[in-house]
Amino acid sequence: MADLSKKSALVIGAGGLGGPALLVLAAGGVGRLVVVDDDAVESSNLNRQPLFGEVDLGRRKAVVAAERLAALHPSLEVEAFDRRFDAAGAEALAGPVDLIVDGSDNFATKFLASDAALKLRKPLVHGGVLRTTAQLLTVMPGQTGCLRCLFEAPPPPGQVPSCAEAGIVGALAGFAGALMGAEALRLLAGERGAYAGRLYIHEARSARSRLVLVRRRVGCPACAGTLPLGGEAVAAAVAAPAREVTSSRPGGPA
Amino acid sequence: MTSAGPLDLRRYACPITWVKTRIALERLAVGQVLEVWLPAGEPAESVPRSAAEDGHRVVAVEPLGRAGAAGDAYRVLVEKGTPAAALA
Amino acid sequence: MTPELTEDRIARWARQLLVPGFGAAGQERLMAARLRVVGADAVAGAALVYLVQAGVGTLWIDDPDVVAPADLEGWLYPPGSVGQPRAQAAIEGLAPLSRFVSVAPYPMGGVPTATLICASSTAQAVASAEVARRAGVPHVVMEAEGDGGTFVSVPVGAPCFSCGRVLAGTGRPPSPGAAALAALAAQELLQLIADATQKDGRRVELLRGIGSSRLTVRLPGCQCAPKPPREVAQADDDEAGDTVG
Repeated sequence: MADLSKKSALVIGAGGLGGPALLVLAAGGVGRLVVVDDDAVESSNLNRQPLFGEVDLGRRKAVVAAERLAALHPSLEVEAFDRRFDAAGAEALAGPVDLIVDGSDNFATKFLASDAALKLRKPLVHGGVLRTTAQLLTVMPGQTGCLRCLFEAPPPPGQVPSCAEAGIVGALAGFAGALMGAEALRLLAGERGAYAGRLYIHEARSARSRLVLVRRRVGCPACAGTLPLGGEAVAAAVAAPAREVTSSRPGGPA
Repeated sequence: MTSAGPLDLRRYACPITWVKTRIALERLAVGQVLEVWLPAGEPAESVPRSAAEDGHRVVAVEPLGRAGAAGDAYRVLVEKGTPAAALA
Repeated sequence: MTPELTEDRIARWARQLLVPGFGAAGQERLMAARLRVVGADAVAGAALVYLVQAGVGTLWIDDPDVVAPADLEGWLYPPGSVGQPRAQAAIEGLAPLSRFVSVAPYPMGGVPTATLICASSTAQAVASAEVARRAGVPHVVMEAEGDGGTFVSVPVGAPCFSCGRVLAGTGRPPSPGAAALAALAAQELLQLIADATQKDGRRVELLRGIGSSRLTVRLPGCQCAPKPPREVAQADDDEAGDTVG
């Protein structure tokens, strides 16, 4: 294994995706991890979030995550922030690290993470799980397309998500999150990412996967540097139909 | 005709309202009708939609309680569809 | 007897109950399952965590070894557990995750309803898979290497592990990213238990973050082929004297 003790990563979310990513990053010898999560541990989380057990119910996720990682890896430096990853705090959180892993569970945060990665020139590992399908994408600022190149815009606010989309099995979230951690380890070691510029999709019931190229979109405001962080309110109010390369929505609840 | 007493989910929220509705539908035979009471708002909107996506037929969505009373809750009638569609 | 799907269980597995192939009947099958896990090393840890979190009723850990320093790269063993019997350390690591699951050392003669094999050697994997196959138990056999590896799923009646696996690996020791393979192997086994319609065996390979799979195919002459009825009685007599380790 490469020596990553001088490397650092920001992981957004310590739940279904962020949890396994943190565990893989820590085991891979990364020197410093920054964890951001604004939630408390709830019963329905415990089917899929490996950092938390029943004794942690009601406690703040960021705090418990840091404790758990420190117990398993005493020489790891962990900083935990019990807060939302938002436009106001994005630069302070992501500026000092080498790479961002986005394990968040909502579109606004996913797009913000992508915008921040571009602005701060940090690689971003993005992932999501929807029912029995996992997908992953790595954004290399200046080289590959970003989340907005792929999806153009998040769905309009106020659109009620279908309850059925809340379905998730912990093991598949663990698969996606562990892949995100492994991808981060590759990038931190200076290797080319497996998902750089290509969306990896894996469906678990059929065990089928595919890779879809994600090109930089001409006119993407984030890539052009003309989109301020938290630019949803400023940018067009009308979301163009997503220029999707898959038929399912991006990511999903983690 | 409904095949069991109404499923009263008025004190629950999404996604539990759909989880419990889906479990109740799973236990029925194709063609049987489930009556479920849901709080107004997200559950009353998304449960019928999820049921239809799962291959069932939404027979009715109507306010529960006196006609003209403020919509605190809704009665939804769902006829169980074929299992193959439900597994999609 | 299988516990009922009570309020607190529904709350715990609410999100899982919505997934195609799962649902109330699937969750009840998971709750009734007795899962034997052969091998509890670093890589197996991720699979164990997700099997417990998914609500498998009983987990039997079959591992005679002690926690080694290399096991600290997994998800279950804190530094202070080095030298402790691994099965016991695994049970202690998993207990806080769920009160709905019983985790215990594998009892001699115990008959599981499903098996996950994370064996430390190919010979052990083949032997354990054969035990499961002869007992009519669906199983998934995982071989991790580097940041990935392969697993073969063997539903009842499907081509056996020996038919499904590929002989040559690179022999690289597993690294932390192999947790992804373990999580996916757990997902595969959960699907086999919960979804009564999954009959096909697959070999899934994860290499540098990219997965590929193919259906397993029975090799001609393999003893895993279903026997015609009139040969079964004869074969049972022949096998009566066998013991498989």
